[in-house]
Amino acid sequence: MIAWRSTWSIYKRELLRFLRTAFQSVLAPVLTTTLYFIVFGAAIGGRMPDLGGVDYGAFIIPGLLMLTLLGETTSNSSFGIYMPRFTGTIYELLSAPVGVAETLIGFVGAAMTKSLILAAIILATARFFVDYSIAYPLLAVLYIMLVAAAFSLFGFILGIWADNFEKLGIIPMLFLTPLTFLGGTFYSIDMLPAPWDTIALANPIVYLVSGLRWTFYGSSDVNIWVSFGITLAFLAACTAVIAYIFRTGWRLRA
Amino acid sequence: MEPILELSGLTKVYPGGLKALDDVDLTIRKGEIFALLGPNGAGKTTLIGAVCGLVRPSSGTIRAFGHDLATDWRKARARIGLVPQELSTDMFEPVKRAVSYSRGLFGLPPNPARIEEILRSLSLWEKRDERIMALSGGMKRRVLIAKALAHEPDLLFLDEPTAGVDVELRKGMWAIIDQMRARGVTIILTTHYIEEAEEMADRVGVIRNGQIIAVDEKDALMAKLGRTEAHIALAEPMQTLPPVIAQLPVEIEQDGMSLCYRGGDGTGRGKAEVADLTKALTHAGIDYVGIETRESSLEDIFVSLLGENAQ
Repeated sequence: MIAWRSTWSIYKRELLRFLRTAFQSVLAPVLTTTLYFIVFGAAIGGRMPDLGGVDYGAFIIPGLLMLTLLGETTSNSSFGIYMPRFTGTIYELLSAPVGVAETLIGFVGAAMTKSLILAAIILATARFFVDYSIAYPLLAVLYIMLVAAAFSLFGFILGIWADNFEKLGIIPMLFLTPLTFLGGTFYSIDMLPAPWDTIALANPIVYLVSGLRWTFYGSSDVNIWVSFGITLAFLAACTAVIAYIFRTGWRLRA
Repeated sequence: MEPILELSGLTKVYPGGLKALDDVDLTIRKGEIFALLGPNGAGKTTLIGAVCGLVRPSSGTIRAFGHDLATDWRKARARIGLVPQELSTDMFEPVKRAVSYSRGLFGLPPNPARIEEILRSLSLWEKRDERIMALSGGMKRRVLIAKALAHEPDLLFLDEPTAGVDVELRKGMWAIIDQMRARGVTIILTTHYIEEAEEMADRVGVIRNGQIIAVDEKDALMAKLGRTEAHIALAEPMQTLPPVIAQLPVEIEQDGMSLCYRGGDGTGRGKAEVADLTKALTHAGIDYVGIETRESSLEDIFVSLLGENAQ
Protein backbone atom coordinates (compact mmCIF):
# COMPACT_ATOMS: atom_id res chain seq x y z
CA MET A 1 0.00 0.00 0.00
CA ILE A 2 1.37 3.40 -0.96
CA ALA A 3 1.38 6.15 1.65
CA TRP A 4 0.05 8.92 -0.58
CA ARG A 5 0.40 11.72 1.98
CA SER A 6 4.09 10.93 2.35
CA THR A 7 4.44 10.74 -1.43
CA TRP A 8 2.73 14.10 -1.87
CA SER A 9 5.00 15.66 0.77
CA ILE A 10 8.14 14.49 -1.06
CA TYR A 11 6.75 15.56 -4.43
CA LYS A 12 5.67 18.99 -3.18
CA ARG A 13 8.97 19.65 -1.45
CA GLU A 14 10.95 18.72 -4.56
CA LEU A 15 8.84 21.04 -6.69
CA LEU A 16 9.30 23.85 -4.18
CA ARG A 17 13.03 23.25 -4.37
CA PHE A 18 12.72 23.66 -8.15
CA LEU A 19 10.77 26.89 -7.74
CA ARG A 20 13.43 28.19 -5.37
CA THR A 21 15.82 28.17 -8.29
CA ALA A 22 13.13 28.88 -10.89
CA PHE A 23 15.00 31.79 -12.39
CA GLN A 24 18.00 29.61 -13.18
CA SER A 25 15.94 26.50 -13.95
CA VAL A 26 13.74 28.29 -16.47
CA LEU A 27 16.06 30.91 -17.85
CA ALA A 28 18.97 28.55 -18.60
CA PRO A 29 17.05 26.24 -20.97
CA VAL A 30 15.29 29.19 -22.61
CA LEU A 31 18.61 30.89 -23.24
CA THR A 32 20.28 27.68 -24.45
CA THR A 33 17.40 26.87 -26.80
CA THR A 34 17.40 30.41 -28.12
CA LEU A 35 21.12 30.20 -28.87
CA TYR A 36 20.69 26.87 -30.66
CA PHE A 37 17.92 28.32 -32.76
CA ILE A 38 19.95 31.39 -33.63
CA VAL A 39 23.02 29.33 -34.59
CA PHE A 40 21.51 26.19 -36.09
CA GLY A 41 18.05 27.39 -36.98
CA ALA A 42 18.72 30.80 -38.48
CA ALA A 43 22.45 31.04 -39.32
CA ILE A 44 23.07 27.49 -40.58
CA GLY A 45 19.52 26.27 -41.03
CA GLY A 46 18.81 28.92 -43.67
CA ARG A 47 21.33 27.22 -45.95
CA MET A 48 20.10 23.68 -45.22
CA PRO A 49 17.58 21.83 -47.37
CA ASP A 50 14.35 20.46 -45.92
CA LEU A 51 14.81 17.09 -44.25
CA GLY A 52 12.09 14.57 -45.06
CA GLY A 53 9.88 17.46 -46.07
CA VAL A 54 10.43 19.28 -42.78
CA ASP A 55 12.05 22.71 -42.58
CA TYR A 56 15.48 22.37 -40.90
CA GLY A 57 14.55 24.82 -38.11
CA ALA A 58 11.52 22.69 -37.27
CA PHE A 59 13.47 19.46 -37.78
CA ILE A 60 15.83 20.22 -34.89
CA ILE A 61 13.07 21.01 -32.34
CA PRO A 62 12.58 17.42 -31.12
CA GLY A 63 16.37 16.99 -30.86
CA LEU A 64 16.78 20.22 -28.90
CA LEU A 65 13.89 19.21 -26.69
CA MET A 66 15.54 15.86 -26.04
CA LEU A 67 18.93 17.51 -25.42
CA THR A 68 17.51 19.70 -22.66
CA LEU A 69 15.16 17.04 -21.38
CA LEU A 70 17.85 14.41 -20.85
CA GLY A 71 20.30 16.79 -19.23
CA GLU A 72 17.86 18.61 -16.97
CA THR A 73 15.91 15.52 -15.94
CA THR A 74 19.03 13.58 -15.07
CA SER A 75 20.60 16.44 -13.14
CA ASN A 76 17.37 17.39 -11.32
CA SER A 77 16.77 13.87 -10.19
CA SER A 78 20.38 13.11 -9.28
CA PHE A 79 20.69 16.34 -7.28
CA GLY A 80 17.33 15.63 -5.65
CA ILE A 81 18.63 12.50 -3.95
CA TYR A 82 22.36 13.34 -3.80
CA MET A 83 21.93 16.57 -1.82
CA PRO A 84 20.08 14.92 1.10
CA ARG A 85 22.82 12.28 1.15
CA PHE A 86 25.52 14.94 1.05
CA THR A 87 23.98 17.16 3.73
CA GLY A 88 22.77 14.28 5.91
CA THR A 89 19.09 15.22 5.67
CA ILE A 90 18.38 11.82 4.15
CA TYR A 91 18.09 10.53 7.72
CA GLU A 92 14.55 11.90 7.76
CA LEU A 93 13.52 10.02 4.63
CA LEU A 94 15.13 6.79 5.81
CA SER A 95 13.57 6.96 9.25
CA ALA A 96 10.09 7.76 7.92
CA PRO A 97 7.50 5.08 7.17
CA VAL A 98 8.08 5.42 3.43
CA GLY A 99 9.39 2.81 1.02
CA VAL A 100 10.60 2.61 -2.53
CA ALA A 101 7.22 3.45 -4.08
CA GLU A 102 6.70 6.69 -2.13
CA THR A 103 10.30 7.76 -2.64
CA LEU A 104 10.29 7.10 -6.36
CA ILE A 105 6.90 8.59 -7.08
CA GLY A 106 7.84 11.64 -5.01
CA PHE A 107 11.31 12.28 -6.39
CA VAL A 108 10.84 10.97 -9.92
CA GLY A 109 7.36 12.43 -10.22
CA ALA A 110 8.72 15.85 -9.30
CA ALA A 111 11.62 15.51 -11.74
CA MET A 112 9.15 14.49 -14.46
CA THR A 113 6.93 17.45 -13.70
CA LYS A 114 9.89 19.81 -13.96
CA SER A 115 10.81 18.23 -17.28
CA LEU A 116 7.32 18.69 -18.67
CA ILE A 117 7.37 22.33 -17.61
CA LEU A 118 10.75 22.74 -19.32
CA ALA A 119 9.51 20.98 -22.45
CA ALA A 120 6.56 23.38 -22.60
CA ILE A 121 8.90 26.36 -22.16
CA ILE A 122 11.23 25.13 -24.91
CA LEU A 123 8.35 24.53 -27.30
CA ALA A 124 7.01 27.99 -26.56
CA THR A 125 10.47 29.48 -27.13
CA ALA A 126 10.82 27.57 -30.40
CA ARG A 127 7.59 29.14 -31.58
CA PHE A 128 9.35 32.50 -31.70
CA PHE A 129 11.86 31.19 -34.23
CA VAL A 130 10.14 28.60 -36.41
CA ASP A 131 6.69 27.56 -37.41
CA TYR A 132 5.98 23.95 -36.52
CA SER A 133 3.11 21.62 -35.82
CA ILE A 134 2.97 18.40 -33.86
CA ALA A 135 1.44 15.49 -35.77
CA TYR A 136 0.62 13.37 -32.71
CA PRO A 137 0.49 15.71 -29.69
CA LEU A 138 -0.82 13.11 -27.23
CA LEU A 139 1.83 10.62 -28.27
CA ALA A 140 4.43 13.38 -28.02
CA VAL A 141 3.39 14.18 -24.43
CA LEU A 142 3.32 10.46 -23.60
CA TYR A 143 6.76 9.96 -25.12
CA ILE A 144 8.21 12.98 -23.32
CA MET A 145 6.78 11.65 -20.04
CA LEU A 146 8.22 8.21 -20.71
CA VAL A 147 11.68 9.60 -21.47
CA ALA A 148 11.46 11.95 -18.46
CA ALA A 149 10.50 9.03 -16.21
CA ALA A 150 13.34 6.85 -17.53
CA PHE A 151 15.97 9.56 -17.11
CA SER A 152 14.61 10.63 -13.74
CA LEU A 153 15.18 7.07 -12.59
CA PHE A 154 18.60 7.10 -14.24
CA GLY A 155 19.42 10.37 -12.44
CA PHE A 156 18.19 8.89 -9.18
CA ILE A 157 20.64 6.00 -9.63
CA LEU A 158 23.44 8.47 -10.39
CA GLY A 159 22.59 10.46 -7.28
CA ILE A 160 22.87 7.35 -5.15
CA TRP A 161 26.00 6.07 -6.89
CA ALA A 162 27.90 9.37 -6.72
CA ASP A 163 29.93 10.00 -3.61
CA ASN A 164 31.21 13.39 -4.71
CA PHE A 165 30.14 16.26 -6.94
CA GLU A 166 32.56 15.28 -9.69
CA LYS A 167 30.95 11.88 -10.12
CA LEU A 168 27.56 13.53 -10.09
CA GLY A 169 28.44 15.65 -13.08
CA ILE A 170 30.67 13.29 -14.99
CA ILE A 171 28.02 11.02 -16.54
CA PRO A 172 25.81 13.80 -17.92
CA MET A 173 28.84 15.79 -19.08
CA LEU A 174 31.02 13.05 -20.56
CA PHE A 175 28.40 10.62 -21.82
CA LEU A 176 24.90 12.00 -21.99
CA THR A 177 25.59 15.33 -23.73
CA PRO A 178 28.02 13.92 -26.35
CA LEU A 179 25.71 11.00 -27.10
CA THR A 180 22.78 13.39 -27.48
CA PHE A 181 24.76 15.64 -29.86
CA LEU A 182 25.72 12.54 -31.85
CA GLY A 183 22.21 11.11 -31.58
CA GLY A 184 20.68 12.96 -34.50
CA THR A 185 19.73 16.13 -32.65
CA PHE A 186 20.87 18.35 -35.52
CA TYR A 187 20.83 15.91 -38.41
CA SER A 188 19.21 12.82 -39.78
CA ILE A 189 21.17 9.57 -39.50
CA ASP A 190 20.57 9.16 -43.24
CA MET A 191 22.86 12.15 -43.82
CA LEU A 192 25.84 10.25 -42.38
CA PRO A 193 28.15 8.40 -44.77
CA ALA A 194 28.67 4.64 -44.37
CA PRO A 195 29.72 3.12 -42.01
CA TRP A 196 28.85 5.98 -39.61
CA ASP A 197 25.15 5.68 -40.33
CA THR A 198 25.30 2.10 -39.05
CA ILE A 199 27.64 2.88 -36.14
CA ALA A 200 25.29 5.69 -35.08
CA LEU A 201 22.60 3.09 -34.43
CA ALA A 202 24.66 1.82 -31.48
CA ASN A 203 23.93 5.13 -29.78
CA PRO A 204 20.75 4.65 -27.70
CA ILE A 205 19.96 8.37 -27.82
CA VAL A 206 19.37 8.04 -31.59
CA TYR A 207 16.25 6.03 -30.82
CA LEU A 208 14.97 8.57 -28.31
CA VAL A 209 15.46 11.57 -30.61
CA SER A 210 14.04 9.62 -33.51
CA GLY A 211 11.02 8.53 -31.47
CA LEU A 212 10.18 12.07 -30.43
CA ARG A 213 10.73 13.34 -33.97
CA TRP A 214 8.23 10.78 -35.23
CA THR A 215 5.56 12.05 -32.83
CA PHE A 216 6.19 15.56 -34.22
CA TYR A 217 6.39 14.91 -37.95
CA GLY A 218 5.25 11.31 -38.51
CA SER A 219 8.59 10.24 -39.96
CA SER A 220 11.93 9.38 -38.41
CA ASP A 221 15.21 7.50 -38.83
CA VAL A 222 14.07 4.54 -36.75
CA ASN A 223 10.74 2.75 -36.45
CA ILE A 224 8.65 4.38 -33.71
CA TRP A 225 7.96 1.05 -32.00
CA VAL A 226 11.65 0.32 -31.75
CA SER A 227 12.07 3.72 -30.09
CA PHE A 228 9.21 3.02 -27.68
CA GLY A 229 10.60 -0.46 -26.97
CA ILE A 230 14.09 0.83 -26.18
CA THR A 231 12.71 3.61 -23.96
CA LEU A 232 10.56 1.11 -22.07
CA ALA A 233 13.48 -1.31 -21.74
CA PHE A 234 15.66 1.47 -20.30
CA LEU A 235 12.86 2.42 -17.92
CA ALA A 236 12.53 -1.19 -16.79
CA ALA A 237 16.30 -1.58 -16.33
CA CYS A 238 16.50 1.58 -14.19
CA THR A 239 13.52 0.43 -12.12
CA ALA A 240 15.20 -2.93 -11.52
CA VAL A 241 18.44 -1.24 -10.40
CA ILE A 242 16.54 1.02 -8.01
CA ALA A 243 14.59 -1.91 -6.60
CA TYR A 244 17.95 -3.60 -5.93
CA ILE A 245 19.30 -0.43 -4.28
CA PHE A 246 16.34 -0.21 -1.93
CA ARG A 247 16.34 -3.93 -1.18
CA THR A 248 20.00 -3.92 -0.21
CA GLY A 249 20.23 -0.33 1.08
CA TRP A 250 23.29 0.19 -1.12
CA ARG A 251 24.77 3.64 -0.37
CA LEU A 252 21.60 4.57 1.48
CA ARG A 253 21.76 2.67 4.75
CA ALA A 254 24.99 1.91 6.59
CA MET B 1 6.15 -1.25 33.09
CA GLU B 2 5.11 -2.01 29.51
CA PRO B 3 8.07 -2.36 27.12
CA ILE B 4 7.98 0.01 24.16
CA LEU B 5 11.20 -1.12 22.50
CA GLU B 6 12.96 -4.47 22.72
CA LEU B 7 16.35 -5.19 21.20
CA SER B 8 17.46 -8.78 21.21
CA GLY B 9 20.88 -10.01 20.15
CA LEU B 10 21.31 -6.88 18.03
CA THR B 11 24.61 -7.01 16.19
CA LYS B 12 26.05 -4.74 13.55
CA VAL B 13 29.28 -5.48 11.76
CA TYR B 14 30.31 -2.82 9.24
CA PRO B 15 31.82 -3.90 5.90
CA GLY B 16 35.33 -3.06 7.16
CA GLY B 17 34.87 -5.59 9.94
CA LEU B 18 34.17 -3.13 12.76
CA LYS B 19 31.69 -4.64 15.20
CA ALA B 20 29.73 -1.57 16.25
CA LEU B 21 27.03 -3.49 18.12
CA ASP B 22 27.75 -6.80 19.76
CA ASP B 23 24.77 -8.90 20.80
CA VAL B 24 22.88 -6.04 22.42
CA ASP B 25 19.84 -6.88 24.53
CA LEU B 26 17.90 -3.89 25.78
CA THR B 27 14.33 -3.13 26.80
CA ILE B 28 12.94 0.38 27.01
CA ARG B 29 9.84 0.99 29.10
CA LYS B 30 6.95 3.20 28.16
CA GLY B 31 7.20 6.77 29.42
CA GLU B 32 10.76 6.66 30.71
CA ILE B 33 13.79 8.73 29.87
CA PHE B 34 16.64 6.38 29.14
CA ALA B 35 20.15 7.75 28.87
CA LEU B 36 22.62 5.76 26.84
CA LEU B 37 26.12 6.67 27.92
CA GLY B 38 29.33 5.74 26.25
CA PRO B 39 32.54 7.15 24.89
CA ASN B 40 32.92 8.18 21.24
CA GLY B 41 32.70 5.17 18.94
CA ALA B 42 31.01 2.98 21.56
CA GLY B 43 28.03 2.23 19.31
CA LYS B 44 25.42 4.73 20.55
CA THR B 45 24.61 6.26 17.17
CA THR B 46 24.70 2.86 15.45
CA LEU B 47 22.15 1.57 17.95
CA ILE B 48 19.86 4.51 17.23
CA GLY B 49 20.44 4.11 13.50
CA ALA B 50 19.47 0.43 13.67
CA VAL B 51 16.15 1.26 15.33
CA CYS B 52 15.40 4.23 13.08
CA GLY B 53 16.19 2.50 9.79
CA LEU B 54 19.48 4.23 9.01
CA VAL B 55 21.60 1.17 9.69
CA ARG B 56 20.95 -2.40 8.59
CA PRO B 57 21.53 -4.76 11.51
CA SER B 58 23.72 -7.78 10.79
CA SER B 59 21.66 -9.96 13.12
CA GLY B 60 19.24 -9.77 16.00
CA THR B 61 15.72 -8.44 16.29
CA ILE B 62 14.17 -5.09 17.07
CA ARG B 63 10.59 -4.84 18.23
CA ALA B 64 8.95 -1.47 18.72
CA PHE B 65 5.37 -1.18 20.02
CA GLY B 66 5.10 -4.92 19.48
CA HIS B 67 5.99 -4.68 15.77
CA ASP B 68 9.03 -6.43 14.34
CA LEU B 69 11.01 -3.73 12.55
CA ALA B 70 12.25 -6.19 9.93
CA THR B 71 8.75 -6.95 8.69
CA ASP B 72 6.35 -4.39 10.14
CA TRP B 73 8.59 -1.35 9.90
CA ARG B 74 5.99 1.08 8.60
CA LYS B 75 3.77 0.85 11.67
CA ALA B 76 6.71 1.05 14.03
CA ARG B 77 8.54 3.90 12.30
CA ALA B 78 5.38 6.01 12.15
CA ARG B 79 5.60 6.26 15.95
CA ILE B 80 9.33 6.91 16.26
CA GLY B 81 11.03 10.29 16.05
CA LEU B 82 14.70 11.06 15.66
CA VAL B 83 16.73 14.14 16.42
CA PRO B 84 20.14 13.50 14.88
CA GLN B 85 23.43 14.60 16.31
CA GLU B 86 24.37 16.67 13.27
CA LEU B 87 22.42 19.79 12.33
CA SER B 88 21.12 18.12 9.18
CA THR B 89 18.29 19.98 7.55
CA ASP B 90 17.59 21.93 4.39
CA MET B 91 19.02 25.27 5.45
CA PHE B 92 17.19 27.19 2.71
CA GLU B 93 13.76 26.10 3.90
CA PRO B 94 11.62 28.29 6.19
CA VAL B 95 11.07 26.84 9.67
CA LYS B 96 7.33 26.23 9.46
CA ARG B 97 7.50 24.63 6.04
CA ALA B 98 10.30 22.31 7.16
CA VAL B 99 8.30 21.17 10.19
CA SER B 100 5.11 20.76 8.17
CA TYR B 101 7.02 18.67 5.63
CA SER B 102 8.16 16.30 8.37
CA ARG B 103 4.57 15.77 9.46
CA GLY B 104 3.46 15.02 5.92
CA LEU B 105 6.42 12.72 5.30
CA PHE B 106 5.26 10.57 8.17
CA GLY B 107 1.84 10.29 6.55
CA LEU B 108 -0.14 12.64 8.81
CA PRO B 109 -2.65 15.18 7.46
CA PRO B 110 -1.77 18.87 7.78
CA ASN B 111 -2.50 20.31 11.20
CA PRO B 112 -1.47 23.97 11.39
CA ALA B 113 -2.67 24.25 15.00
CA ARG B 114 -0.45 21.37 16.07
CA ILE B 115 2.54 22.79 14.18
CA GLU B 116 1.97 26.15 15.85
CA GLU B 117 1.80 24.47 19.26
CA ILE B 118 5.08 22.67 18.66
CA LEU B 119 6.81 25.80 17.38
CA ARG B 120 5.54 27.87 20.29
CA SER B 121 6.65 25.24 22.81
CA LEU B 122 10.14 25.46 21.35
CA SER B 123 10.10 29.26 21.15
CA LEU B 124 10.29 29.12 17.37
CA TRP B 125 6.95 30.60 16.42
CA GLU B 126 8.36 34.08 15.92
CA LYS B 127 10.93 32.58 13.55
CA ARG B 128 8.44 30.45 11.61
CA ASP B 129 8.94 32.23 8.28
CA GLU B 130 12.70 32.56 8.53
CA ARG B 131 15.07 30.36 6.64
CA ILE B 132 16.76 27.84 8.90
CA MET B 133 20.18 29.06 7.79
CA ALA B 134 19.44 32.43 9.43
CA LEU B 135 18.91 30.89 12.87
CA SER B 136 21.43 30.41 15.66
CA GLY B 137 22.89 26.97 16.37
CA GLY B 138 20.59 26.45 19.34
CA MET B 139 17.53 27.38 17.31
CA LYS B 140 18.58 25.06 14.50
CA ARG B 141 18.72 22.23 17.01
CA ARG B 142 15.26 23.16 18.23
CA VAL B 143 14.03 23.07 14.62
CA LEU B 144 15.30 19.50 14.41
CA ILE B 145 13.39 18.68 17.60
CA ALA B 146 10.27 20.35 16.16
CA LYS B 147 10.63 18.27 12.98
CA ALA B 148 10.96 15.11 15.05
CA LEU B 149 7.87 16.02 17.09
CA ALA B 150 5.77 17.02 14.07
CA HIS B 151 4.37 13.52 13.63
CA GLU B 152 3.65 13.17 17.34
CA PRO B 153 5.94 10.21 18.05
CA ASP B 154 5.54 8.02 21.09
CA LEU B 155 9.24 7.20 21.14
CA LEU B 156 11.84 9.87 20.56
CA PHE B 157 15.56 9.43 20.04
CA LEU B 158 17.77 12.37 20.90
CA ASP B 159 21.29 11.76 19.70
CA GLU B 160 23.58 14.05 21.70
CA PRO B 161 20.88 16.75 21.95
CA THR B 162 23.11 19.24 23.72
CA ALA B 163 26.39 18.54 21.97
CA GLY B 164 28.26 21.79 21.46
CA VAL B 165 25.64 24.05 23.03
CA ASP B 166 26.26 26.42 25.92
CA VAL B 167 25.18 25.77 29.50
CA GLU B 168 22.12 28.03 29.36
CA LEU B 169 20.85 26.44 26.18
CA ARG B 170 21.55 22.99 27.56
CA LYS B 171 19.32 23.72 30.54
CA GLY B 172 16.66 25.04 28.18
CA MET B 173 16.92 21.76 26.27
CA TRP B 174 16.46 19.79 29.47
CA ALA B 175 13.27 21.75 30.13
CA ILE B 176 12.03 20.85 26.65
CA ILE B 177 12.79 17.18 27.27
CA ASP B 178 10.88 17.42 30.54
CA GLN B 179 7.88 18.83 28.67
CA MET B 180 8.00 15.94 26.23
CA ARG B 181 8.12 13.43 29.05
CA ALA B 182 5.10 15.15 30.61
CA ARG B 183 3.24 14.53 27.33
CA GLY B 184 3.98 10.82 27.69
CA VAL B 185 6.74 10.57 25.11
CA THR B 186 9.33 7.90 25.82
CA ILE B 187 12.78 9.35 25.33
CA ILE B 188 16.08 7.70 24.61
CA LEU B 189 18.98 10.10 24.69
CA THR B 190 22.59 9.51 24.06
CA THR B 191 25.04 11.79 25.69
CA HIS B 192 28.52 12.00 26.96
CA TYR B 193 27.53 14.75 29.38
CA ILE B 194 27.11 12.68 32.52
CA GLU B 195 25.51 15.68 34.18
CA GLU B 196 22.75 15.47 31.59
CA ALA B 197 21.98 11.84 32.35
CA GLU B 198 22.15 12.54 36.07
CA GLU B 199 19.71 15.42 35.68
CA MET B 200 17.20 13.83 33.31
CA ALA B 201 17.30 10.06 33.15
CA ASP B 202 15.15 7.51 34.90
CA ARG B 203 17.40 4.71 33.77
CA VAL B 204 20.93 4.64 32.48
CA GLY B 205 22.66 2.24 30.13
CA VAL B 206 26.38 2.21 29.56
CA ILE B 207 27.72 0.98 26.23
CA ARG B 208 31.34 0.15 25.45
CA ASN B 209 32.75 -1.44 22.31
CA GLY B 210 29.22 -2.20 21.13
CA GLN B 211 28.25 -4.03 24.30
CA ILE B 212 25.85 -2.85 26.97
CA ILE B 213 27.87 -3.26 30.14
CA ALA B 214 25.39 -1.83 32.63
CA VAL B 215 21.69 -1.00 32.63
CA ASP B 216 19.87 0.09 35.72
CA GLU B 217 17.72 2.71 37.36
CA LYS B 218 19.88 5.78 37.72
CA ASP B 219 19.39 5.82 41.50
CA ALA B 220 20.01 2.07 41.77
CA LEU B 221 23.18 2.36 39.68
CA MET B 222 24.44 5.12 41.89
CA ALA B 223 23.47 3.13 44.98
CA LYS B 224 25.21 0.03 43.67
CA LEU B 225 28.36 1.67 42.43
CA GLY B 226 28.35 4.98 44.30
CA ARG B 227 30.96 5.76 46.94
CA THR B 228 31.59 8.31 49.67
CA GLU B 229 35.01 9.79 50.07
CA ALA B 230 35.98 11.76 53.21
CA HIS B 231 39.25 13.43 54.11
CA ILE B 232 39.78 14.34 57.76
CA ALA B 233 42.68 16.67 58.49
CA LEU B 234 44.21 15.78 61.89
CA ALA B 235 45.59 18.26 64.41
CA GLU B 236 48.44 15.87 65.33
CA PRO B 237 50.05 13.18 63.14
CA MET B 238 48.82 9.60 63.59
CA GLN B 239 51.03 6.54 63.04
CA THR B 240 48.54 3.68 63.56
CA LEU B 241 44.78 3.49 63.41
CA PRO B 242 42.96 2.82 66.67
CA PRO B 243 41.15 -0.59 66.47
CA VAL B 244 37.67 0.95 66.44
CA ILE B 245 38.62 3.03 63.41
CA ALA B 246 40.56 0.27 61.70
CA GLN B 247 37.27 -1.63 61.24
CA LEU B 248 36.23 1.05 58.74
CA PRO B 249 37.70 1.52 55.22
CA VAL B 250 40.09 4.20 56.41
CA GLU B 251 43.69 4.88 55.44
CA ILE B 252 46.32 7.18 56.87
CA GLU B 253 47.60 9.71 54.34
CA GLN B 254 49.95 12.70 54.15
CA ASP B 255 52.42 11.30 56.69
CA GLY B 256 49.78 10.78 59.30
CA MET B 257 48.24 14.24 59.01
CA SER B 258 45.10 13.04 57.25
CA LEU B 259 42.67 10.15 57.34
CA CYS B 260 40.90 9.09 54.17
CA TYR B 261 37.62 7.20 54.20
CA ARG B 262 36.50 5.52 50.97
CA GLY B 263 33.37 3.44 51.29
CA GLY B 264 29.61 3.33 51.32
CA ASP B 265 27.32 2.30 48.50
CA GLY B 266 25.48 5.36 47.34
CA THR B 267 22.53 4.75 49.71
CA GLY B 268 23.86 7.00 52.45
CA ARG B 269 25.78 4.26 54.31
CA GLY B 270 29.02 6.10 53.54
CA LYS B 271 27.80 9.30 55.18
CA ALA B 272 26.70 7.38 58.26
CA GLU B 273 30.08 5.68 58.52
CA VAL B 274 31.87 9.03 58.19
CA ALA B 275 29.70 10.28 61.08
CA ASP B 276 30.67 7.17 63.10
CA LEU B 277 34.31 7.83 62.23
CA THR B 278 34.22 11.40 63.54
CA LYS B 279 32.47 10.25 66.72
CA ALA B 280 35.13 7.55 67.22
CA LEU B 281 37.89 10.11 66.74
CA THR B 282 36.30 12.41 69.31
CA HIS B 283 35.77 9.49 71.67
CA ALA B 284 39.42 8.47 71.30
CA GLY B 285 40.54 12.05 72.00
CA ILE B 286 41.99 12.52 68.52
CA ASP B 287 41.60 16.12 67.45
CA TYR B 288 40.89 17.07 63.86
CA VAL B 289 40.81 20.42 62.10
CA GLY B 290 38.81 19.85 58.97
CA ILE B 291 36.48 17.43 57.17
CA GLU B 292 35.84 17.24 53.45
CA THR B 293 33.32 14.73 52.09
CA ARG B 294 32.30 13.97 48.53
CA GLU B 295 29.69 11.62 47.07
CA SER B 296 30.67 10.00 43.79
CA SER B 297 28.76 11.27 40.76
CA LEU B 298 27.40 9.29 37.85
CA GLU B 299 30.51 10.45 36.06
CA ASP B 300 32.74 8.67 38.59
CA ILE B 301 30.65 5.54 38.11
CA PHE B 302 30.87 5.91 34.36
CA VAL B 303 34.63 6.32 34.51
CA SER B 304 35.04 3.33 36.80
CA LEU B 305 32.84 1.20 34.52
CA LEU B 306 34.68 2.16 31.41
CA GLY B 307 38.15 2.38 32.85
CA GLU B 308 40.58 3.94 30.44
CA ASN B 309 38.05 3.84 27.59
CA ALA B 310 36.10 6.64 29.20
CA GLN B 311 38.36 9.22 27.63
